[in-house]
Amino acid sequence: MRPFEYLAPSSVEAAVAALAEHGPGARALAGGTDLLVDLKHDSVSAGLLVDLTRIAECKVIEETPDGLRFGSLVTHTQIMESDLVRRHAPAMIDAARTIGAVQTRNLGTLGGNLVTCVPSLDSGPVLLALDAEVTIAGTGGRRRMPLGEFFVGPRKTALQAGEVLVDIVLPRDSLGKPCSFRKFGLRKGQALALVNAAAATRLDGGKIAGVRIALGAVAPTVIRATRAEAALDGRSPDPTLIAEAADIAATEAKPIDDFRASADYRLELIRTLTRRVLNEAIETATS
Amino acid sequence: MVIKVEDALRADRLTELKHPDEAAGVPAVARKEGRAPQIVPDANQQTPAVGQRVTRPDSRPHITGQTRYIDDLSFPNMLHMKILRSEHAHARIRAIDVSEAEKMPGVVATLTGREIPVNSFGPSYQDQPVLADEKVRHMGDGVVAVAAETEQLAQDALARIKVEYEPLPLVLDPLEAMNDDAPKIHGDSNIYATKAIRKGDVESALAEADLVMEGRFSTQMVEHVPMEPHATIAMWEPDGRLKILSSLGRITLGRADVARTLDMPVNRIQIVGTIVGGNFGGKNEITTEPVLALLARKTGRPVKGVFTRQDEFVSSTTRHPFIMDYRTGVRKDGRILARKVRIVADGGAYCSWSETTLGKGAILSVGPYRIDHLEVKAYAVYTNKTTCGAMRGFGAPQVCFGYESHMDDIARELGIDPLEIRLRNAFDEGSSSPTGQVLHSVAVKESLETVAHRVGWREQTS
Amino acid sequence: MEITIRVNGQERTASVPPETTLLTMLRANLGLTGAKLGCDVGDCGACSVLVDGEPVNACLMLAAQAAGRDVLTIEGLGDFQELSPLQEMFELFSSFQCGFCAPGMIISAKALLDKTPNPTAAEVREALSGNLCRCTGYTKIIDAVMEMASRGAAESERA
Repeated sequence: MRPFEYLAPSSVEAAVAALAEHGPGARALAGGTDLLVDLKHDSVSAGLLVDLTRIAECKVIEETPDGLRFGSLVTHTQIMESDLVRRHAPAMIDAARTIGAVQTRNLGTLGGNLVTCVPSLDSGPVLLALDAEVTIAGTGGRRRMPLGEFFVGPRKTALQAGEVLVDIVLPRDSLGKPCSFRKFGLRKGQALALVNAAAATRLDGGKIAGVRIALGAVAPTVIRATRAEAALDGRSPDPTLIAEAADIAATEAKPIDDFRASADYRLELIRTLTRRVLNEAIETATS
Repeated sequence: MVIKVEDALRADRLTELKHPDEAAGVPAVARKEGRAPQIVPDANQQTPAVGQRVTRPDSRPHITGQTRYIDDLSFPNMLHMKILRSEHAHARIRAIDVSEAEKMPGVVATLTGREIPVNSFGPSYQDQPVLADEKVRHMGDGVVAVAAETEQLAQDALARIKVEYEPLPLVLDPLEAMNDDAPKIHGDSNIYATKAIRKGDVESALAEADLVMEGRFSTQMVEHVPMEPHATIAMWEPDGRLKILSSLGRITLGRADVARTLDMPVNRIQIVGTIVGGNFGGKNEITTEPVLALLARKTGRPVKGVFTRQDEFVSSTTRHPFIMDYRTGVRKDGRILARKVRIVADGGAYCSWSETTLGKGAILSVGPYRIDHLEVKAYAVYTNKTTCGAMRGFGAPQVCFGYESHMDDIARELGIDPLEIRLRNAFDEGSSSPTGQVLHSVAVKESLETVAHRVGWREQTS
Repeated sequence: MEITIRVNGQERTASVPPETTLLTMLRANLGLTGAKLGCDVGDCGACSVLVDGEPVNACLMLAAQAAGRDVLTIEGLGDFQELSPLQEMFELFSSFQCGFCAPGMIISAKALLDKTPNPTAAEVREALSGNLCRCTGYTKIIDAVMEMASRGAAESERA
């Protein structure tokens, strides 16, 4: 790697100040599983790395009045081993388990995964399906926004220069909401998703209520399939309805052809995975 | 230090080695009754060594992290080398300017192809430059090497080197490369090796067949991906001898190549073969050894060069992609009368071990089947891609995919069980190979029967 | 910058530039070459070490990020005269060929067994999925870890 300066502040405010002081050449470092690779390949440059991994506030998973709060520097392993997550949002564990391998999950962070913002990011669908919100800190203070607005494009988020992601919050309403995650890759270990999908729903008097469908690797960012959701809400689940919703979800996606899979194959995966996650979420809601 | 092996043989483990049938769960009764032919004699009937658990003498260094691979070695005052690779798959090199790179602090020396005494090597034809001088023929061609105080400085220096290229037309498809009007990569033809096998009268036999099946099968390029990337350290001894420590798997061939490229006698070159972290055929010939030797001579210091994973993919050799055309005449009962095969091996930019691969591929392309009338034509063709060379099997895996897929197609067309059609045609004891070798210890049918028994093939298909 | 890491139970200090990875510091500055550079992007696991008991790719962690933490490398397990029990299993099963992946493989297996002393074969495969081996086909590696687990279980039953 080319030379850079290094700072490891112990608070969000200090990190934000360091980023502001150093200007555009400064970059925030989280788990490093993407950034260090980019630095090695010289595809990004940095005059200063502001290491966020020593900020205590960002390293905890805790229940707050707002809901379930994940510090942005929480690792995927922490999520997999958290009793709070197991109780309130077990689908997040299913998603975390599919990311990289043990070594990368021990380094890689939830916030880093979201900030990298590749279309296939595996933490995205469950968080979107559970209406997650994120907190961003900059020199002007902190602001909160829905995760859906945080995703702007491939490798592009709502973070402005010098801002850092502080935490991710699952609102109280979403805790315990039945949710399912599925990912399809070309192999079992260390695979990028060809398609990943999550669905969350409750049943209200046997009718689908507040359903959410989120899809990854099928559009410039992780997306919600809102028309498919609209087709489901307020109706009784049955196989025909689920299949219709899955077909609609496929029309909301814009998958591409690449060396991993063709767009047609991905469309078929979207239908299949959407059906599966809906069925699983409904089954959990029923039981 | 002496490696301790005394506790390696543990009685409680020795008894657990099982006959393959037993291991596969075939009931003892069935084994005794011989439902499956026993082709593997009991271990202790062969030699006392077979079936015994032994501990490898090198196990302790390996599992304690003490084995020294090249990159684990370092010498006082050692420099590090990086290579600037081509920006084009096919281009003439007009000019190289290393002056800016050489001015950088920490950069000690550069090397270009024109500084190499005999700038060509290769196991069959010496068609590959150590560093490209007149032309680059694929993206993996090295053009300039830099020796610097650290790897990073050497890497940074590459960006300061200016190479002026005149891009040339590309040929990437091996079939197009065979055409007369295709851009030529070396000389006046892209076909640089051919093999032919003829036996019997293939055209007459095809005319007598009940069915003539045709099929085209192709395979892809495969990189060996040894866990340890290619690595070499070169240094000159005070007596003027060259010492090279290398991950090279074939050190005597490598020494001959180094002697040739440096234009010096082999007896003044010592190549130390170290523990190799995976070869699979990919470390069978020299890569940067002469470059490191010359940089070490220029600087008077040891120089180390370790491939990045990217170097490994774009620059080291790979397995040849084959395009295989099969044409087979069969009788209604599945008996094969005649077979024609055409193999086009995409050799990439240089010959490397293509001749060997093509020869073995051609001989094996007919399959382990008794066929009296044969014609095999095989061609190795240059393209502007990563060089293909030795890889486990030397062409055998490619043709196996071809002929066995073809056999399945024939079986389906005739409505014959795929196992049955193979048994009707397979080699017997004393059968002749396509090139006339009389075969002994032939166990094709027994092997097929054993597998069929173990997977319950007949039970499933009946 | 001056970095102090507790490596294999000993405080080790080196003066390195900030862009130094943990792997480079271990190999170049501390002379611990057991962890290998295989891919340099966190795919192959040849550089696996334990940081505070958890396996990580040392090529993807800055040395500065490991400052003040506990690092265990293959050199911190058994040595030539006396192997650790897990290394004994790797020796007994010859769970390696070229040996290049073995240090990382053993480190990952140790991390698994420390947390899950009696894993299923599926858990072993999952725990080792970040460690690539091109020679063995993995079977003997998984066998060694499973044997280690079953011996460990037998021992704890006796205790």
